[in-house]
Amino acid sequence: MNIETFVKEFAEQFDEIPDEPFTADTLFKENEEWSSMTALLVIAMIDQSYSVRLTGDDVRKSLTINDIYTIVVSKANA
Amino acid sequence: MIQLPTHRYGLIFRLVEENDAAFILGMRTNPKLSRHVSPVENDLDAQKSWICNYKQREARAEEYYFLYTDMQNQPLGVFRLYNIDGATVTSGSWLAERDNNALDSIKADLFLTSIIFEELNFECCMIDVRKENKKLVRYHKMFFTQTGEDEQNIYLEMRREGYMRKHKFLTDIIDPK
Repeated sequence: MNIETFVKEFAEQFDEIPDEPFTADTLFKENEEWSSMTALLVIAMIDQSYSVRLTGDDVRKSLTINDIYTIVVSKANA
Repeated sequence: MIQLPTHRYGLIFRLVEENDAAFILGMRTNPKLSRHVSPVENDLDAQKSWICNYKQREARAEEYYFLYTDMQNQPLGVFRLYNIDGATVTSGSWLAERDNNALDSIKADLFLTSIIFEELNFECCMIDVRKENKKLVRYHKMFFTQTGEDEQNIYLEMRREGYMRKHKFLTDIIDPK
């Protein structure tokens, strides 16, 4: 598991390519496309790729892609 | 029959009434919210009239048009069950205010799915999704099976097995134990 691959997989859940490419520090909720549906697709991607089930609270308290990644790493190692 | 209004997942669910017409029309004429649904005229009287006719279909148990609100009764979105035919129902007419952080439309979908299979005891839920609505297509394909397509839409159905998987997946996210 590494952050570069994770950011790429995270970005693939968005239909539009943003003006500023996603990085670990991207505030993803500021993207126009962010919605409940995008959140769910991110959660599904993480479930499939990392066998980790995020909750709504995990997403709610995260601001950057790195915040999500940190939770995934923590749950994967639990 | 469903007891409404009901509180679930921090939201209130009830059936649409005539005085919801302005809220619904506001969403249906908002280009950002309604780009994947059929266009309508910005005509409040026509929307009220449509709801009046719908209430007659609701009284005959032919159709259910739901609205959900936050706990302060602020409306957030709508969805509809129609084409009721024996054990089969179609769900659609989804419209929701943007909810960047609350997963409200996912909570509403969990409610809707439970209503269909647990309270109204349907065995098959059908939907059609605009092909250009790529996220929604990906989401529904997690639990529904595609049954057909045309130039504009993809047609899918979900039976009880798909419902069970969907219910667990969404409950783990929304209401983890």
